[in-house]
Amino acid sequence: MTAPATVETGARPLLSVENVDVVLGRGWRANHVLSDVSLKIWPGEIVGLVGETGSGKTTLARTVVGLVRPRDGRVVYDGTETSRLRGRALRSERRQGHVQLVFQDPLRSLDPDLTVEQIVGEGLRIRGGLDGEEIKARVTDALGKVGLDATLLSRTPGQISGGQRQRVSIARALATDPGLLLCDEPVSALDASNRNYILRLLGDLRDSLNLPIVIISHDLSSLAGIADRVVVLYRGTIIEDGPVNQVFSAPRHPYTALLMASAPSVKHDRPLSIHQLRRTAADPDLRPDLLAASACVFAPRCPFAIDACAVQPALEPVPAAAGGRWSAACHRHEEWPALARERAAVAAPR
Amino acid sequence: MNGNPPPDQVLGLEDLHVTVHHGAATAVSGVTLSVHTGEIVGMVGESGSGKTLTCRAALGELPAGCAVSQGTISFETNNVTDLSRRGWERLHGTGIGAVFQDPSSYLNPSLSVGSQLTEVLRVKQRLPRREAHRKAIELFTVVGLRQPERVFHQVPAELSGGMLQRVMIAIAISCGPRLLIADEATTALDVTIQAEIIELLRDLRDQRGLAVLFVSHDLAVIRELCDRVVVFYAGEVVESGPVEEIIERPRHPYTQALLQVASVGDFSRRELRVIPGQPPQVGAHISGCRFAERCPAAIDACRAAAIDLVRLGPRHQSRCVRANDPELADVLETELAAR
Amino acid sequence: MSKRTSIFGPRSVLRLPSAKIAVVILAAVIFLAIFGSALAPQNPLTINANALFQGPSAQHLLGTDYLGRDVLSRLMAGTRLSVFTAFEAVAIGFVLGGPLGIATVFLGKWFDFAANRVFDALMTLPSIFFAVAATAALGNGLVQAMLPIGILFSPYFFRITRAATLEFARAQYVEAAELLGASKLHVIRVHVVRKVLPTMAVTTAGLVAGALLTVSFLTFLGIGVQPPAPTWGGVLSSELDYLSNAPWAPLIPGALIAITVGACNALADALRDRTSAGTFAPVIDPVIKTHSTLQALEVANERQSAA
Repeated sequence: MTAPATVETGARPLLSVENVDVVLGRGWRANHVLSDVSLKIWPGEIVGLVGETGSGKTTLARTVVGLVRPRDGRVVYDGTETSRLRGRALRSERRQGHVQLVFQDPLRSLDPDLTVEQIVGEGLRIRGGLDGEEIKARVTDALGKVGLDATLLSRTPGQISGGQRQRVSIARALATDPGLLLCDEPVSALDASNRNYILRLLGDLRDSLNLPIVIISHDLSSLAGIADRVVVLYRGTIIEDGPVNQVFSAPRHPYTALLMASAPSVKHDRPLSIHQLRRTAADPDLRPDLLAASACVFAPRCPFAIDACAVQPALEPVPAAAGGRWSAACHRHEEWPALARERAAVAAPR
Repeated sequence: MNGNPPPDQVLGLEDLHVTVHHGAATAVSGVTLSVHTGEIVGMVGESGSGKTLTCRAALGELPAGCAVSQGTISFETNNVTDLSRRGWERLHGTGIGAVFQDPSSYLNPSLSVGSQLTEVLRVKQRLPRREAHRKAIELFTVVGLRQPERVFHQVPAELSGGMLQRVMIAIAISCGPRLLIADEATTALDVTIQAEIIELLRDLRDQRGLAVLFVSHDLAVIRELCDRVVVFYAGEVVESGPVEEIIERPRHPYTQALLQVASVGDFSRRELRVIPGQPPQVGAHISGCRFAERCPAAIDACRAAAIDLVRLGPRHQSRCVRANDPELADVLETELAAR
Repeated sequence: MSKRTSIFGPRSVLRLPSAKIAVVILAAVIFLAIFGSALAPQNPLTINANALFQGPSAQHLLGTDYLGRDVLSRLMAGTRLSVFTAFEAVAIGFVLGGPLGIATVFLGKWFDFAANRVFDALMTLPSIFFAVAATAALGNGLVQAMLPIGILFSPYFFRITRAATLEFARAQYVEAAELLGASKLHVIRVHVVRKVLPTMAVTTAGLVAGALLTVSFLTFLGIGVQPPAPTWGGVLSSELDYLSNAPWAPLIPGALIAITVGACNALADALRDRTSAGTFAPVIDPVIKTHSTLQALEVANERQSAA
C-alpha cells in the first residue's frame, strides 16, 4: 500500500498538457489564471497538484476536462487533442468516460433529487448500450470499490453523511472505467480520519486498477502518504514538479519549502522555519521590476530575489534527479537553501 | 469548585450539560474546563463531539431548541449561566470576543470593512467618528494588515480569506475583551495564511494577555498554538492537560488515535491511519465509556459504569479506567498499527 | 420504521390550513363547473315576471334577478363557462411560454435575445383591446375572447420559467452531467424539469386567479357574452344596474369571484412555501451535528408530526 508505483520511464504519457494559457473574464476583469502550464501524467501514478487560493489549480483541472477553453496551448489525452473538440465530437469523447473529474463539494455536484443509483449510473445511461440490470450491477460494483454497500442505492444525497457523499462522487467517476481521475480537493472538508480513509482508498485504486489520479489539494502533508509525484502551482505557474520523496526531503523552490514549513504538525522537527523563508522588515525594499508581470511570480514574496528574478524562470530540470523527472522554476535553486539556513529562525521581538 | 475562582481565571465551565432538540437529547455532558489570562486553551474533537455547542454556550449563543440543563458558566468572577439577553449583549465585545470559520458570512458585503469596524467602536465604546477611524487603522495594523488605510475602504469581496479573518479578529478585539473564542477560525484558510494567523493569535496573547479558547478538529494546529488542550468525544471531555505532555504521552485511547491520524511534519511516506467506526449518535444511551466500542484496549470495567475523570497530574486528567495502566501505551500501539 | 413524510414536497402542502381550505373551495368550484347546470334547482333561463327582485326564500335560495330568474341557478350554471375559459387561457399561456422558457436557456444567447424581445413585446399589448378584436374577428364568444388573453399570458410563463431554469442550469451537477457527455435534452429531462415544475405550478395557480378575474371583467363589460347565457361577471353586471332595487344582490357573485380567486392565490402561496426542489433545505441547525443526517431527518420528522 505504501510502495511507490512503478512508472515506466520512456513510455508515452497518458495525458499531456502543453503550454496552456487560460484567461478568465473579459476586458478589465480579465484574469490571467494560467500561464504557460505544461504537465504530463503517466499511467499508474498519483500526482499531487498543490497550490493555494488563486493558484489556478481548479482551473487547470477544468481545462483538462474541457470545461474551460485555453487561450493558447493544448490538452492531449491518449493521442487525441481534446482541447480542440467541440459539440458532438466533444460529447462523444466524453461518453467514452476516459477522463473523470470528482468535484470539490459533493453537496453541489450531486443532484439532490436523484437517488444514489441514478447518480452513479448516469454516465452509463448516457453512454447507452446497457440494460437496467447491467447498469445496476455496475453501479453496485462501483459503490463497492469505494466501500459503500447496496443499501445506499435508493437514498438521496441529503440522506447520507458528508463522507459518504464524497465517496458517491468518486463512485460516479469510477462507474465508466476511466483512464484518468482528477479529484478537486477531495478531502479538504473532512476530518483527519475520514481524510486518511479516502486517501487510502485512492491509493488502493491506483494499485488495483493502475489508475492514474491527480489529487488537487492545498495541503501538502495529506499527500505525503500516497502521492508519487508532487506538482506545485503558484499564481498560475508551475514552480516545482518532481518525485514526492525527493521534493519533500530537499525542495528546490523556496515556495515549496514555505508550504512545508507552514504546515502544522504534531512534531516540531523542521529543517527550516517560516521566518527563514519569508520576507521580513529587515530585507531591502522590493525593486519595481520585480513586481512587473514578466518577473518571477514568487518574487514579491521571496527573500532571495536578485536582479535576474525580474524575468520569470522557466521550469528547468534539476540535475542529479531520478530519471530527469524533477524540475523547478527558480534561478537560484542551488543557493537559496544555504541562505535560508543563515537567516534568523525565530521572529524578531516587536 | 467552591468559593471564588482564582482572580486570573477568565472563563470557567463547571459540569456543563447542554441539551438539544428541546431537551430530547444531551449533546454535552459534564464538561469542566477553565481558561486563564494569557493562556491559549485548545478544544479538539471530531465534528459532532460537542465542542462547538460548548463554545456557543460560553457565548450565550445556543441555537433554538438547545439549553444549558446543568452546570455553571462563569466569566471572571461572575456567574453568567442565567444571564439575560441584555447581559450577554454587554458582555459580547467588551468581555468576550469571537471569530468563526467563514468570515465573509459575518460581514455585510456592501459596506467597507473599515466602516463595519468603526460601527462597533462607535456603538460599544461611544467613540466619536474621527477617534473611531484612528483606532480602526491602529487595530488593522495590530492584526497585520498591510496598507491599513487602503483596506479600510475596501468591501469584503475585494479581500482574501486571510485578510477577512484578520478583519474579524480586529473587530473581535476592538473593545478590549479579556477572552477570545476562535471556533475553527483557521480551518478554511490556506496553510501559509493559517500559519500567519496562528502567529497573530500568539502575539495577541503575548502583548495583551489575551486568553484564547481555540476550537479545531486538527490536532496539529492545536499543537502549534495552544498551551493546554481539552479533548472532546461524544459530548464529554476525555482528556485535558498541557499540550506537550499529552502529545508526548497520551493517556486516553482516543487521544492516541487522534495523534495517529494527525499530520506529522516530516512528510515521510507513512501509513495513513484511520479510526475505525463511528462516534455514537447524539443522545444514544451508552453505559460506561462512550469510546469503548471503538477502543482497542477496552476491558469489561469500561462498559460497567460511567467513567470518572482520573487525575494524572496537577493539571492533567483522563477519563479512562486504564489511564494509569503502564501497559496501555503498548496495547494501543500494536492494536492501532494492525488496523 | 417511522413514517417518513418529507417536510418538503407536494403532499406536505396539505398540512397548511390555508391550503386545505383552498383545495376544498377549488374542488367545489370545479365540481360546479362540471355538474353545475345539471344540479341547478331551477332552469337558469326561465323568466318569471311575477317574481322580480325577490330576496332569499325557500324556492329561490339566493333570490331572483331583474327578470325573475333564479340567481343561484344562474351562478351554478355560469360556473362552467367562467372556469373553463379561465383554464383555457392559462393552458394556452403555459404551452406557449413554459417549454420555450426552459429551452431558451440552452439554445444559445442569440435565440435567448430574440425570444426575450418577442415576449417583451407581447407584454406591452393591451389585453382587453385584443379580446374585443378577437370577438370581432372570430365571433362573439368567451372562448374566442380568452384566446388572445392566453397568448398574452405566455410572457409571464416564459419569464418565470426562464428565471427558474437559469438558476438550475448553472448548477454543478449539470456540469457533472455535461462531463459525462450528456446532451442538452438529457440535462433538461433528468435534472431541470423536475426542479422547475414547482415554480410553474405556482405561476399556474396565480394565473388561474388572474384569468378568472379577467373573465369576470370581460363578461362584466359584456365582451364575449351571448345573453341570456349566464356567467359570473354577467350576473354581477346586471345586478349592479339595479342596485337600488336589490342592494344586497351584487354581493353574492362578487363574493363568489373573490373567494375563488383568493383560494387560487392561497394555493399558489402554499405551493411556493412548501416545494423547494433542487435545494438542500437545512432541517437542523448546522451547529448541532449528529453523525448521520439520516437520524437528524428522522428526529425532525418526529418532531413535526408531534407538533
